[in-house]
Amino acid sequence: MHNPRLARRGLALAAAAAAVAAAAGCAVEPDTGSVVDARSLTIGVKADQPGLGLRRPDGRYEGFDVDVATYLAGRLGVPPERIRFRTTPSSVREKALREGTVDMVVASYSITAKRKTQVTFAGPYYVPHQDTLVRADDDSIRGVRDLEGKRLCQVTGSNSWRRVTEERKIAARLVEAPTYSACMDLLAASKIDAVSTDDLILAGFAAGRPVKIINAPFTDEKYGVGLHKGDLAGCEALNRAITAMYQDGTAARLLDKWFGESGLKLTTSVPQFEGCS
Amino acid sequence: MTPPATSPPAAPDPSSSGPPAPPPLAAQAPAVRRARTRRRFRRVGLRTVPGWIRIGTAATLAAVVLLVAATMAAVGDAREGMRTVGHDAGRQVMATGTLYFALSDMDAQVADILLIGREHDLGIGRAESLRRYERRRAEANRAAVEAAQIAGRDEARRRTVREVLDGLGSYERLVGEAMLLDRQSDHPAGELPPNVVETYRKATDLMKLELLPRAYNLTLDSGATVRRSYETDRAAVLAGRLRVGLTGALALVLLIGLQVYLAARFRRLVNPALALATLGALAVAVLGVGMLSAQAGHLKRAKEQGFDSILALNRARAISHSAFADESRYLLDPGRADTYEQTFLDKALSVLYVDPGERPLNLETYYDLLPGAVRSYERAPGGPPVEVLGLLGEEKGNSLGPSERSRLHATVQAYQRVLDNDRRMRELAVRGDRRAAIELRMDRASGAVAAFDAYDRRLALLIQAHQDAFDRAVRAGDDGLAGWDALPTAAALAVAALVLAGVRPRLAEFR
Repeated sequence: MHNPRLARRGLALAAAAAAVAAAAGCAVEPDTGSVVDARSLTIGVKADQPGLGLRRPDGRYEGFDVDVATYLAGRLGVPPERIRFRTTPSSVREKALREGTVDMVVASYSITAKRKTQVTFAGPYYVPHQDTLVRADDDSIRGVRDLEGKRLCQVTGSNSWRRVTEERKIAARLVEAPTYSACMDLLAASKIDAVSTDDLILAGFAAGRPVKIINAPFTDEKYGVGLHKGDLAGCEALNRAITAMYQDGTAARLLDKWFGESGLKLTTSVPQFEGCS
Repeated sequence: MTPPATSPPAAPDPSSSGPPAPPPLAAQAPAVRRARTRRRFRRVGLRTVPGWIRIGTAATLAAVVLLVAATMAAVGDAREGMRTVGHDAGRQVMATGTLYFALSDMDAQVADILLIGREHDLGIGRAESLRRYERRRAEANRAAVEAAQIAGRDEARRRTVREVLDGLGSYERLVGEAMLLDRQSDHPAGELPPNVVETYRKATDLMKLELLPRAYNLTLDSGATVRRSYETDRAAVLAGRLRVGLTGALALVLLIGLQVYLAARFRRLVNPALALATLGALAVAVLGVGMLSAQAGHLKRAKEQGFDSILALNRARAISHSAFADESRYLLDPGRADTYEQTFLDKALSVLYVDPGERPLNLETYYDLLPGAVRSYERAPGGPPVEVLGLLGEEKGNSLGPSERSRLHATVQAYQRVLDNDRRMRELAVRGDRRAAIELRMDRASGAVAAFDAYDRRLALLIQAHQDAFDRAVRAGDDGLAGWDALPTAAALAVAALVLAGVRPRLAEFR
């Protein structure tokens, strides 16, 4: 007996299978959300660190971090007019990346093993060192060991003083201050003898004050570009952009622009990258 | 590649009838276009039995062609993936890793030579250190050539290689100068005159700030190329597997549809040729999907258990050698002792990171917490889980075979003994007994050198275990692909022949 219905059903099934195959063909690539594909970027920076990231009264941001971020975004194909900067204090950097309120963070953000579990870091784009700032006429402090018995600024929430008194067990006398800018006033008023933290931060504050950096570095920090955890393509692209920033002389120019007058010894060759993970 | 356009009802096989006649019936049924179309189909003989058989046959053959095309394309992707990760770039990237290691060890040998001064037999001895220095320099040159080759036309990378080679020239000049001053001063171990220290500082700073970062970044960057190509190729293999599955299903549905149609129309139970063709198509699809799954697996193992681990462990090895040299630098340059202690700690942390909690992150804390971290590598961990990070720490979390797991444990145990010696050496140095500190640091029989060499051997064995896993995965991948260039085509031809053989007698009944 002729059974066309059955035969037609077979063909219809085949047509359905073909349609599925067609749909599958164009739906394998998922949306990665990498900064590589971004048309515009929201970048987290500091608002209160002269020389690195400072928010001016007119709402614009300026500093080494801001310039580096602008250059790197340009290398990713995002022009300055499509960048939005956003104040991102130290305490919220991981959260801001996780929640996507910022696409990347360039805010004196040190790469640590612990943070690497939550954030993918490109870079470091610079390796600052902890150093010590003293009054310009003070010759008694030439290295970190000379802080023994001296009055050292202890900034609330910062770990830098620990590196002196706890990690190295140097018996400096700690004087509390709410911010590094308050330390500068204490130093000028001779209420403390020294401020010790990342040399770039010191250099930013030193500008125009009667102080000097002693150029006796004793740690290596690693300022990295924070990205959403897992954005390996973005991280690799940024590492290439950082390499380019050093090769084309931009890094040297920016370092000189922001810290050239501080008397700080600056490194103008590309840092050793951390590796994307 | 997308197969859909050939689905039969929409595109009637032109061979099945002449060109469609103009629809004279249109005037009689002006209402619905659909009805008209249906009538047109009827008029051109599509609803005749031979018409249906011809359409079904053509569609089936088209589906078989699609199945073969999908399989061949996926085989090509799998082969490409294996070639990149397993043979070319993967191996080259691992080779550039030796650049960093060789450079870093050159500086380590120089530190030892300067530290021992005129006491030429301390440690491995001046002569042996010089020999190693020369060997590492040759290795560095070879690896730089290799890196330049991988860089290809990538200008930024080529420039980095050039900068490394230029820097190496300056470095060697500074080292030559330091060694000359060192020989002239004829100092006892550990008592370097300031001009030697000053010159060595220039050399080691150049190495640390300019040469090593570039060498390290080169390996990372070419590793990134491998990662990208791996991700693309593996995604292509998996997408290919889906296409093979779907086109295989399509071919099977059509074959079975044809079989059912013929059975219904001609009142025969089974058409043997078609049944064989169905089995053939089923075999190609099932074997193809299975083979591609296996290939995706081999690729993943080669990348994750092989390539990634080998790269990470080679980094751990290079950083460990560099940290060990920081002990020599700590002893030879007391003015920078604090800095070298800190860089030693930083390197130790990047090899094996232990969370200090509330304690200050210094060597003292590290010495205290390390044994607990090392115990957490035992297979049956007692007590609370210890979070370890860093290059050796992250290995712990990876999926490892038993051989890699036990070698990893042995490696971290040996690492702990290196740190034990470091602690003793620093205690001696802080107490002011520099002579004893230097003797411990240079002791090959039972001291720091012995412990470090043991650790280095364990680490090399661990790397070898991952190398073996890598080689196994690559071999399995290559073997799994053997024959797949010809097989799909041959199978397709056989299936096509069987289909034609199956329908031909039935069509003949209408002649």
